[in-house]
Amino acid sequence: MEPVAASGYLTASFDNAAIELDDFDAVVRLHWPAVFRFALASVRDRDAAQTLTQDCFVHAWKARAGFRGSSTVKTWIMRIAVNLVRDHARNRRLRFWRRATREALDISAAGGRLHDGTISAEQRVLIGEKVRAVWAASGSLPERQRTVFLLRFVEDMDLLDIATATGLKEGTVKMHLFRALQSVRERLGEHK
Amino acid sequence: MTRHLSSVEISEWVAGARSRRSEDHLHECAECRGELARLQETLSDFRASVREWSAQGAAAPILKVRDRTSAASVVPGFKELHRAYFPPRLRWALIAAAIVLLAVIPIYRANRLQPTPDSSLDDAVLLEQIDEGVSRSVPAPMEPLTTLVSEGSTAAVNRTQQKK
Repeated sequence: MEPVAASGYLTASFDNAAIELDDFDAVVRLHWPAVFRFALASVRDRDAAQTLTQDCFVHAWKARAGFRGSSTVKTWIMRIAVNLVRDHARNRRLRFWRRATREALDISAAGGRLHDGTISAEQRVLIGEKVRAVWAASGSLPERQRTVFLLRFVEDMDLLDIATATGLKEGTVKMHLFRALQSVRERLGEHK
Repeated sequence: MTRHLSSVEISEWVAGARSRRSEDHLHECAECRGELARLQETLSDFRASVREWSAQGAAAPILKVRDRTSAASVVPGFKELHRAYFPPRLRWALIAAAIVLLAVIPIYRANRLQPTPDSSLDDAVLLEQIDEGVSRSVPAPMEPLTTLVSEGSTAAVNRTQQKK
């Protein structure tokens, strides 16, 4: 009876996804911020991130009939975004890095705890430096490590979803994440 | 207490590769728990900074896309993308410019091709001059010389006849 139950689960999952994709307006509303955030953190260019996000949803719209519900809609859309960002970075590598270096300097001004009135000025400076270090380190990571790092620590996706979104095995995701963390921690050590 | 977690073990733990030894050690070691918490706090600050930074531009595109497309299909394809890239004002300005251009070109061409009376007269005079030039046996500047040559040859003939 178990295969029937599994099949029933898959059918239900597919139906839910199909219903979700039927209301594409809601899909865009729900997932646009995550896709834009991922694109922006990856390419660090607001215009390019907007274009990539828009392209992502155009691709999703065109491919929606082929969605089989084997993952969540978010993971499926993030997979499209990962591919688009990767192609963008490969096509415009030089321009990308020039912009990334320039814009990374302004980024650390933002951040949740930095606006917390209860922390001291010294703590604020320290947090700002650490955030800036993580930004710099993530910007200089190899493409796959950066993608995995952003999906895990910005989008809060679990390892299995990251594996689906990137087309990598779970073990490979862990390896990339570990290496990315080591690089980030090295950079944080320099700023201590 | 077992030895403290190494940097590699802490990264492995955060990356999701969690060993039994690390788990046991974290239960009993406040120092390692503190180090782990500091790293996770920094990563959380990083997440907040990305979210805040992207939130400055994330809301606008949704509204932009939603305003410019029908409720039934938010991203139906190139038509809507075209609308997004060419806002209505710019579209109307381009259409107006194209209409003006289309209206002006025939007028300009008609004015340019229509021969004016003066120019046709000039053409006729020029053709006459060319005809004259072609029908001449010698070029105009040499015509006085031909009369001299013909006069001289007549005088020579007369002298020859007188000698005879």
